Amino acid sequence: MRRLLIFLLLVVALATGCTPRPGGRIVYGLTLAPSGIDPHINASSELGIPLTSVYDTLVYQDPKTGEFVPGLARQWEVSEDGRVYTFYLRRGVKFHDGTPFNAEAVRFNLERITNPDLASQKARFMLGPYERTEVVDEYTVRIVLKEPFAPLLDSLSQVYLAMASPTAVQKWGNEYQLHQVGTGPFVFVEYIPGARLLLRRNPDYAWGPPVYQHKTAQLEEIEFRFFTDPATRSPALESGEADVMGEIPPQDAARLRGNPDFRIEPVAIPGVSLMLFMNTNRPPLDDLRVRQAILFGTDRRAIISAVFRDTSPMACGPLTAVTFGYNPRVCEFYPYNPDQAAALLEEAGWKDTDGDGVRDKAGQSLTLDFYLMGWGYLPEIGSLITDQWARLGVRVNSQKVSYPEALAIAKESRHHLMPFSLSSSDPDIMSRFFHSQGGFNWSKVNDPEMDGWLEEAARLSDRDRRADLYSKVQFRVMENALVIPIRDYVNLNGVNNRVQGLRFDAQGWFPWLIDVVLAQ
Amino acid sequence: MLGYGLRRLLEAILVLWLAATLTFVAMQLTPGDPAQTLLAASGASPAEIARRRAQLGLDDPLPVQYVRYLADLARGDLGVSWLHSRSVGRMILEQLPATAELALAATAFGTLLGVALGLLAALYRETWVDALATGLAVLGLSTPVFWSGLLAMLFFSLYLGWFPSAGGGDLRHLVLPAAVLGFSLSGSVARLVRAQVVEVLRQPFVLAALARGLPLRRILLFHVLRPAIGPAVTVIALQLGFLLSGAVVTESVFARQGLGRLAVQAIFWRDLPVVRGMVLVGAAAYLLTSLLADLLQAWLDPRLRGRDEG
Amino acid sequence: MKRSLRRPEQNVLERALRALAIPPLQAISPRRPLVRQPLALFSLLWLAVIALGAALAPYLAPAGPLATDPSHSVLPPSPGRWLGTDFLGRDVLARLLWGGRWTLRMGIEALALAVGLGLPLGLVAGSRGGSLDALLMRLVDAWLSFPSLLLAMAVVAALGPGLSSVAVAVGLAAAAPYARVARGTARGIRAQPYIDAARAVGASPWRIILRHILPNAAPVLVAFAATQLGWVLLHGAALNFLGLGVPPGTPEWGAMLAEGRAYLRDAPWAVVAPGVSLTLTVLAANIIGDRLGQE
Repeated sequence: MRRLLIFLLLVVALATGCTPRPGGRIVYGLTLAPSGIDPHINASSELGIPLTSVYDTLVYQDPKTGEFVPGLARQWEVSEDGRVYTFYLRRGVKFHDGTPFNAEAVRFNLERITNPDLASQKARFMLGPYERTEVVDEYTVRIVLKEPFAPLLDSLSQVYLAMASPTAVQKWGNEYQLHQVGTGPFVFVEYIPGARLLLRRNPDYAWGPPVYQHKTAQLEEIEFRFFTDPATRSPALESGEADVMGEIPPQDAARLRGNPDFRIEPVAIPGVSLMLFMNTNRPPLDDLRVRQAILFGTDRRAIISAVFRDTSPMACGPLTAVTFGYNPRVCEFYPYNPDQAAALLEEAGWKDTDGDGVRDKAGQSLTLDFYLMGWGYLPEIGSLITDQWARLGVRVNSQKVSYPEALAIAKESRHHLMPFSLSSSDPDIMSRFFHSQGGFNWSKVNDPEMDGWLEEAARLSDRDRRADLYSKVQFRVMENALVIPIRDYVNLNGVNNRVQGLRFDAQGWFPWLIDVVLAQ
Repeated sequence: MLGYGLRRLLEAILVLWLAATLTFVAMQLTPGDPAQTLLAASGASPAEIARRRAQLGLDDPLPVQYVRYLADLARGDLGVSWLHSRSVGRMILEQLPATAELALAATAFGTLLGVALGLLAALYRETWVDALATGLAVLGLSTPVFWSGLLAMLFFSLYLGWFPSAGGGDLRHLVLPAAVLGFSLSGSVARLVRAQVVEVLRQPFVLAALARGLPLRRILLFHVLRPAIGPAVTVIALQLGFLLSGAVVTESVFARQGLGRLAVQAIFWRDLPVVRGMVLVGAAAYLLTSLLADLLQAWLDPRLRGRDEG
Repeated sequence: MKRSLRRPEQNVLERALRALAIPPLQAISPRRPLVRQPLALFSLLWLAVIALGAALAPYLAPAGPLATDPSHSVLPPSPGRWLGTDFLGRDVLARLLWGGRWTLRMGIEALALAVGLGLPLGLVAGSRGGSLDALLMRLVDAWLSFPSLLLAMAVVAALGPGLSSVAVAVGLAAAAPYARVARGTARGIRAQPYIDAARAVGASPWRIILRHILPNAAPVLVAFAATQLGWVLLHGAALNFLGLGVPPGTPEWGAMLAEGRAYLRDAPWAVVAPGVSLTLTVLAANIIGDRLGQE
């Protein structure tokens, strides 16, 4: 029986003909102009794509189950009050420059991140109410928080809080980002800003987390190049300039799917969906009926279909469908119903009295100021929405603005509508948008009950209770018509079929390059 | 000669001061707070953002910020990028070779093509040659590089496979971007050369030279082209100056390193130190190229020598 | 020793010229009236067609230029949809006709600003020379060093959104090169002997500029203005490419080129139409400019 099994396996192996074999190099296309690539300092998601494989983190998150598994920390404990996290570290781990990894290294890294002189743009804030780090013994380290912070493990599983070699950081100072040293399966070889970034296999790697499928890296070398122009990504892939390319435009994805040499690997990104925020402080959007009318009057499915060609699911609520805490019942809100939209507007007193096609009330026409950024298909979405609402009798003044301008406009509450989205594997990201003190509270919402839910959920470690609270938040957001959810972000990766084993982490953006092999 | 050099140096300082001031004013006028731009998406609290503002020196009164900005510039201290957290000077030097390479190649190609087209158009004015040459020139100056670049890439790279479509480093990578950029620059050069050559041909001395039996090539080069190329030299210098501070569209389309992308990114993120550094680069580029243009014009047209700065 | 006459030339260029049997270096013959020259005539006709199309757009367009119809997107040209539809299902012909208004407005406003500012500046600098020239040109150098993207953002922030702000921003950016070219041309003319003669006779500087320098500079300056038309329209398109520019959906031809570029392989007609129109318009302006400049 066993011989038969082995024989069958051999037959299958020969039949498939694609035997992955170690070695080789690939070119990986990045899509954003990187703005500095020190993970402790800079905030770009682009830097995480190469660097997630140069560093290891204390913990890792399993993208399928969402649970946290050991990384550089083989075990950890959380105190009763949720404020103290004790990590028991792996032994025998070495940085690429030979420096041993230990509790002192962890403390060095966390103190570097929280040092105001470093001017960290992201990592610092991922630590929340961080107070201090204590070295208990050579392989035990304790992180103390001022108050409980549920997203801490999620933060510690990301490259922004990865462990860098203290020796290298001290040696290179301001220029460390060009000479990064971690403990990961790939070694950082060189970075020529704007041109390329080179990684080479770390032959000594032996401490990968259980989520990695291989013990060491399979590829010998990976070169990253920067393709900021979306229209050139597919040609680069097709002409062989790149073997993997992120963010392929939807219209090119269809063409690549039909090409036997390539495939599309879509990855749904967790976080808040792409939404239009409605400014509830500014008339006429201060009237709930008007906001609900707009929601009923937007054929979101048609927009998705037109712009994203069904490569992206329609968003039903503030969280994307793959995010922990997402409640599918939020899809029951606001199906497309132009008649109900019209009825609501009439009820709110908006009728077209002067026959110009735009509704008015007390001499004011129903005109909305829509500010949008020039990227991410927002102009296309804006055009479609403008047209759909014109049929409803609503006029839209749209304007392209840059991101800093959008922030300024939101601060001054000058907008009626403004779109945004952010990715995150922890639903606490909603606090930024819907807490009354949130930095992205573009709907200008002030709901003490919802504030309470968000604050409590950030403190609890019980996942079920957190999910409950986040469900409440999602329903409240939709009941009060604070946003128009448009789509869930799906990253369309174009891959040359000679590249196999490409898997992405729980953040969706970052590949685990250790498992990538070349098929022959 | 020394007086002339000194004069140009003083003027250079004037230009730098004016450009730096204009930039400072423009950055203040454009909405957007650099600290908030950097930190908002990371969940920083308003207090933390305010602290970063103070750290960046943005809380100081405007005159203080302005004086500090100028003082740093005068010392040659371009500072540290707020976005990248690296030395601005070093960042600029890293991108400079790729930018200079593209600028020179594109200008050379554009000039040769432009002069050739303009000359042909003028010599054969009103005929089909003129129509074709002028048409080609106009095609160059009315086709955006983001368009012609993509077409060239699709055809020469994807379809024919002659040249790589992205990156830099060697001559093969330079051909397509330089050709596309050069083609778009050749248009205005061609038009100006045409206009001036037509003017020159009105002059009796050309007929006289022909009657004297001078070789055609000599007539074309010395008697026709040399006096006619003046305005074209101005434009070529302008274009070179512009390219030396980066060509963001070409860099984006062909995935090349360059100052253009750096500058645009800095402007979009309100990264004042980098913008200031880029203005310095731009000023240096224009001063250099306008000096070259003036010298070149004086050499080409001896009547201009010693007439201006005296 | 003087070279012998009629030495046979081996030069390829010369052989080609002789082969074409067109004597290229003759003095210019008397001008035919504008309307009798075929190229100029076609140019005028084209400009008339666009202007007419733009004016009559509401009546000629088969659909609204902003009317999206996603279920009919990227359709190739066919009867009824003479130029096809773009990626949002909008009728390309309708957008082309309406786009004429926006494009012409953008081009003319920007160009008027560029020439209105640049011409006097450059002309005076080049004609007077000396310290005034140096000062004005250094001002222009500073203006050139100033990134045009930043200029555009500042202008749009100051003037508010819309096509005119973009036109002003682009026009201001174009004024500096125009001033430089005007100065260079004026400088070249100033060196001519007849200018010395005029000065010797006692003509005032203004008279010299207006009656001697300007008319002689006209051909080049008009030609450059025509090329600047192309430049300003492209610059507006580039702003769109970078994520700013005119409001989304505006059927300005440059904006259509930038927008439709991502769908080049799916709906080439959506970019060919505005691209060809743009090129023909700039070509027409250039040809007319040539003729006018030589009057």
